[in-house]
Amino acid sequence: MRKKTTRSVFAAACAALAVTAAACGTTSENSGTAQPQDPRQNCGGPDGKYTIGMSQANLAEPYRVRMDEDIRKAAGEVPQFEEVQFSDASKDNAKQVSDVEAFLTKQVDLLMISPNEAAPLTDVVRKAYNSGTPVVLLDRKVDGDAFTTYIGADNVAIGRQAGEYFKNTVLPQGGKIVEIRGLSGSTPAAERHQGFEEGIAGSKIEIVGEADGEWERSVGQEKMDALLKSHPDVQAVFSQNDPMAEGAYLAAEAAGRAEQLKFVGIDGLPIEAGGIKAVEQGRLQATNLYPTGGAEAVEAAKQILVDCQPPEKQQTLPSELITKENAGEVYARLNQG
Amino acid sequence: MSEQTHEAEASPSAPEPPRGRSRREWAETLFRFQSFFGLVAVFIAAIVLSPRGDDGQILFLTSDNLFNIVRAVSEIGIIAVGLTFVILIGGIDLSVGSVLGLAAVGSAVLLVNDNFGVLIAALLVLLIGLIFGVLQGAAVALLGVQAFIVTLAGLNIARGLARMWSGGETVQISYGDGDGKAPMLFSLLGERTFGGVVPIPALIFAVVAVAAILFLRYSAYSRHLYAIGGNEKAARLSGVPVNRVKIVAFALSGFCAALAGIVHAGQLNAGSPNDGLAYELDGIAAVVVGGTSLAGGRGSVVGTIAGALLLGILNNILSLNSVDTDMQLLIKGLVIVAAAALQRLRPTA
Repeated sequence: MRKKTTRSVFAAACAALAVTAAACGTTSENSGTAQPQDPRQNCGGPDGKYTIGMSQANLAEPYRVRMDEDIRKAAGEVPQFEEVQFSDASKDNAKQVSDVEAFLTKQVDLLMISPNEAAPLTDVVRKAYNSGTPVVLLDRKVDGDAFTTYIGADNVAIGRQAGEYFKNTVLPQGGKIVEIRGLSGSTPAAERHQGFEEGIAGSKIEIVGEADGEWERSVGQEKMDALLKSHPDVQAVFSQNDPMAEGAYLAAEAAGRAEQLKFVGIDGLPIEAGGIKAVEQGRLQATNLYPTGGAEAVEAAKQILVDCQPPEKQQTLPSELITKENAGEVYARLNQG
Repeated sequence: MSEQTHEAEASPSAPEPPRGRSRREWAETLFRFQSFFGLVAVFIAAIVLSPRGDDGQILFLTSDNLFNIVRAVSEIGIIAVGLTFVILIGGIDLSVGSVLGLAAVGSAVLLVNDNFGVLIAALLVLLIGLIFGVLQGAAVALLGVQAFIVTLAGLNIARGLARMWSGGETVQISYGDGDGKAPMLFSLLGERTFGGVVPIPALIFAVVAVAAILFLRYSAYSRHLYAIGGNEKAARLSGVPVNRVKIVAFALSGFCAALAGIVHAGQLNAGSPNDGLAYELDGIAAVVVGGTSLAGGRGSVVGTIAGALLLGILNNILSLNSVDTDMQLLIKGLVIVAAAALQRLRPTA
C-alpha cells in the first residue's frame, strides 16, 4: 500500500510540473535575438560615477590574472570609474552564469566578460545586453551579436607570424621541427596551428612530430621528453604558448640538447615568469605577443560611458614578434603607466 | 529501533508529549533542525549585509535575485538529494559530478548529433545514470569493495566516457527543426515560468525534493536506510534486504546526477566533457551542512535541501559584496567545519 502512495504522489508531482510548465506562458530569454541598443543610452557623461563588473573565466592561467591586473590599472586612471568588481568562474560555465547574474543584480553600469566557453554564456550575456547593460567581450566571443564590442587578438594571424619567423629567420634553409599544441579541441589551438601552417607554407620546414601539451608547462616537458626520443634529429620547437615552450626547454636541457635547439612560443606575458623574460634570458629564441586587451577594454568602457562615442563592434588587437633585440623595450612599454 | 532522527516517526496519532520537555529533548530538537536554523540565520545575515540599489532597495531580497539563487543551487541540490540516500547508509558517492558531465554530454550528443526527441533522449540519459548507479551499488554490496574506492573509480570512468562520447569537445546545442538542431522543448530548461519569474530548473529541484521527502516518509525503504546506516549487522540479522537497499541507494544517486546533467545541458545550451568537475564535493558539502552524518544513520533530505540553499545564499551574498573567490572558498570551508562541529555536540542515543 505504502509504495503505491509514493508512486502516485510522485506521478502527481510530475504531472503538476508538466502542466504548470506548459500552461504558464514561459517568457523566452532564448529567443536568440539581440534587441538593438541605442549606443548612447548608457552614457552619463564625464560627471557620472560608474561601476564595472568584470567576469573572468578563471584565474588559473597567468594570462588571465594579468588581464585583470591590466583592467584594474587602466580603470584606476579614469576618474569616473568608481570601482571595478572582479569575479572568477574557476573554469565552470555554470558559475560564470551566476557571476554575471550577480553583477546584473548589483546593477553595474557596464559588464566586461571573458567567457569560459561561447555557447553556455550566450544566453546570460544576451540577457545583460537586452536589459540595457553594455557588454565588452574579451578574448573569447559568445554566439550571436548581443554585445556592444568584442576585443581580442587574432590567433590565426599570430600563428602565421610565428610560421613566417620560422621560414625567414629560424630555419631559412628548411629543417625538421616539432609542434607542441594547446589543449586539443580548444579554438586557439586549432587556429594557431592553422596560422602556423600558412606561415611556413612554401618553405622546406617539416613538422615531424606534434603533441598535445594542454597549455601546461609540466605537460609540455613530458611530451618533449618523448618527442626528443622519437625525433632525435629535430632542430627547433614551435610551442603554442610560452609555458609549454619553457617545459620543452627543460626537457631538452635534461637531455643535454637545449643549446642546439631553438624554441619559439606565443603569449609574451610581461611578468617576471613570462615569455618576454624567457626571451631576454635566452631560453626562448622568440615569442609572439598575445595581448590581454585589458587596457583596451577600459578604453572601450570609457568611450561607452563617459565620451558617448561607442567603439567599433569588433576590435582586433595587434601582435608583435619579441626577440632578444626588442624584449627589454616591449617589457618596459607593457608595464609603464 | 534505536533513537533516530527520523521524520517518519512523528505520526499524526502520536500521544501528546508530556509537558515540560527535558533539556535533552530540547537539544535534540535544536540539532534536528540545525540546518534550518542555520538557513534562517544566513538568510537574515544576507539581508543585513546586502548592498542597496540606487533607490535604496535591498538587492539580496529582489525576487530576481532570490530565484537566481534557487536556479544556481538546483543542480547541486538535485545531486545532493541523491547523495543523501547513499550517505544515510554510511556510503559515499564520488562519481556524481562526472555522471553529471556524462549526462550533459549525452543529452547534447543525442539531441544534436543523433536527432533524438527530448523525451527519448532524457529517458536514455536517466537510464545511463541509473545503470551507472546500479553497477556501483552492486560492486559495493555484492563485492564488498568500499564505496569510496568504487565511486572514485566511477568518477574516472564516467569522466572518460564523457570525453569519448563528446570527442573531447564541447557539444553546442542550437534549437530548431532539422538536422543538427535540438527540439525547442529542451530549451525550456533555460526558461522561467509563471510570468518569467520562476526558473524551470528550480521547479525541477522542488519536485525532486518533494518526491524524495515523501518517499522517505511513506515507504518502508527509509526505515531500511536508517537501519543499515545505524548498524548494518543488526539490520541484516533483523531481515533487512541490505544488498538490495544499498543498490537502490546508489541507483537513486546516479539517477539524480543524470537528471542534474540534463538540467545542466538545457540551462547552458551545451554539453562539455568538463561539466560538473568537482560538483560531488559541493554536493557532499550540502549534505554535511544539512546535518547528515557521513557515518550514516543520521540525517534527512530536508536537512540536505536546507544545506544546499544555505550554501547557495552564502555564495550569492559573497558575490553581491564582491568578496574575492579565495575568500569565498575560505568562508565556505569554515561553514562546513562549523556544521560538522555542531554535529559532534549532539547528544547521542
